Amino acid sequence: MPRALPSWAIAGLSAALLLALWIGVTSGGLVRDLFLPGPRDLWDGLTELVQEGYKGRSILEHMGMSLLRVGAGFLTGAAVGTLLGLGMGFAPRLDAAASPFIEFLRPLPQLAYLVLLIVWLGIGESSKITMLFLAALPVAAVAARDGVRNVPSARLQTARALGASDWQVLRHVVLPSALPEVLIGARLAAGIVYGTLIAAEIIAGSNGIGWMIMDAGRFLRSDYVFAGIAMIGLAGIAIDRILVWVERRVVHWAGR
Amino acid sequence: MVMSAASRQTDGIAVAAPPGPVPTRRQVRVPAAAFGAASVAGMVLVWWAISASGAVPRDLLPSPADVWAAATEILRDGYRGTTLWGNALSTLGRLGAGFGLAVLAGVPLGLWMGVNRAASAALDWIVQFMRPLPPLSYMILLILWLGTGNGSKAALLFLTAFPIIVAASAAGARGVKQQRIQVAHAMGARPAQVFRHVVLPSAAPMVLTGLQVALAAAFSTVVSAELLAATDGLGWMVISASQFLRNDVIVLCILVLGGLGVTLAWLMRVLDRRLVHWRGRD
Repeated sequence: MPRALPSWAIAGLSAALLLALWIGVTSGGLVRDLFLPGPRDLWDGLTELVQEGYKGRSILEHMGMSLLRVGAGFLTGAAVGTLLGLGMGFAPRLDAAASPFIEFLRPLPQLAYLVLLIVWLGIGESSKITMLFLAALPVAAVAARDGVRNVPSARLQTARALGASDWQVLRHVVLPSALPEVLIGARLAAGIVYGTLIAAEIIAGSNGIGWMIMDAGRFLRSDYVFAGIAMIGLAGIAIDRILVWVERRVVHWAGR
Repeated sequence: MVMSAASRQTDGIAVAAPPGPVPTRRQVRVPAAAFGAASVAGMVLVWWAISASGAVPRDLLPSPADVWAAATEILRDGYRGTTLWGNALSTLGRLGAGFGLAVLAGVPLGLWMGVNRAASAALDWIVQFMRPLPPLSYMILLILWLGTGNGSKAALLFLTAFPIIVAASAAGARGVKQQRIQVAHAMGARPAQVFRHVVLPSAAPMVLTGLQVALAAAFSTVVSAELLAATDGLGWMVISASQFLRNDVIVLCILVLGGLGVTLAWLMRVLDRRLVHWRGRD
C-alpha cells in the first residue's frame, strides 16, 4: 500500500502523525508543559520572543551576535587554515612540521581550551573568536592539504612538460583541482564552528542565542528553550545551504 | 581543465619561458618524522622560554615543568578525591555508552532507510533537521527531563551521534549500484541474501566513515557536557581546575584530551582498514 504513495505524501503523513502525537500528549495532560510545551504554548512563546525580545535584547540581536562571532571565527580560521593547508600540500617539510599540531588540535574538544582562553583573554569576544578560529583552522588545513595532494599527477606533469613555472602550475592546475575539497572543508568547518559557538554560549555566555536558551532553561521557560532550539536549527541549516550554494557557484566544474 | 591550462602554458613558453628549475619539492632527504619531532621540540622550547623569561605571569601560563609537576602530583595523590585515570575512564564510559547505543540503533535504521523508500520518506526529514543542530542546545531539555546525572549525558551523546550515523548509513545503502542488486536478483538471491552479500558490503565504507565523524563529534560533546554539569570526567576536571586557578592542571587535561582524541581517531582508522579493506576498490 505505501508503495503507491509518493515520497512527499509519506513525509507529510509522518509529520502529521508526529504533530498529532505532540498535541495528544501535551493536551491530554500526560506530559507537563514544563517538560514539553504544546504547539499552542510554543507558538505563544515564539511570538512573545519575536515581539518583546529576551532580557533587553531583541531576538534578532541575540541571533546576530552569535552569527557575527561565527562569521569572525570561521572566516579567519578557514582563511589561515586553507593557506596553511595549501602550503602543507606543496611542501612536505611544512607538512611534517605542522602536522603534529594540526592532528592534535583537530580532535581536541574545543570547549576544553576555551577555559584556558578565558583565563588568558577574558570572558569577552576575543576568547570566543579565538576558540572558533582554532576550531576552523585544522579542518580547513587538512581539507586544503588533501586537495593539493589529490591533484592527479598526470596533470602536474603535463603542465610542467609544457614549461609551466611553479607559480603557473599553482595558479592554473593545483588551485582549480584543489578548490572543491577546500570548499567541502570550509563547509565542514562552518558546521563545527557553529556548533562550538552555541556550546560556548551555553557554558560561558552573557548574550547570544545559545546563552538565551540556557538562561531560559534556568527559569524553566521551556517554551523559550524549544523556540530557541528551533531557531538555532534553522540558522544552522541556513548556514549550510549558503555554503552549498557558494560551492555550486564557485566550483561548477567539480566532479568533471 | 587540462586542456585550457595546457594551452595557456604553451602561450607562456612562446612569450618567455626559461625552463623552470628542476622541481625539488618531492625530494625529502630528512625523514618527515624528524621534522615533526623537531617542530614539536621547538614549540616546547618556545613555551619554556616564554614562561622562563617571566614575560607572562606564571599563574597565567604554567611552564612545561609546572605541567610535568602537576602530572606527577596528580598521578601520585589524585585530584580532589579523583584520579586522572578515573576521570578519563568516566569520560570514555559516557562516550562509549552514548555512541554504542547510537551505533546499535542508527546503523540498522539508516540501512533500512537506504533500501526502503517509504521509511526514508517518513524519517529522512527528521534526521536532516537534527543533523545541523548543535547537540549541546538540547542538553538543557535533557537535564530538565532526565536530571543532571549520567542518563542525560548518555542521551545527549546518543543524539549527537545518531543523526550522523543514520544519514551516513542511509546514504551508503542508497548508493549501492542498482545493477548489482539486479544481477543478484537475477541469479536467484533472496532479499535477505541480496542485503547480506550486496547491500551491506557496498554500504559498509560509508557507514564506517559516518562512525568516525560521529565519534569525533561525540567526543567533543561529552567534554562540553561535563563542563556544564558533572561531578567527574576530564571536562569536570578542567572546569574545576579553572575555579581553583590551577592552569597547570587545565593544560595537563588539554594534553590528555588531545592524546585521547588522536588515539580514538587512530583506532577508528584501524577498524576501518580491518573491516572494509575493500574501500575504494569498486
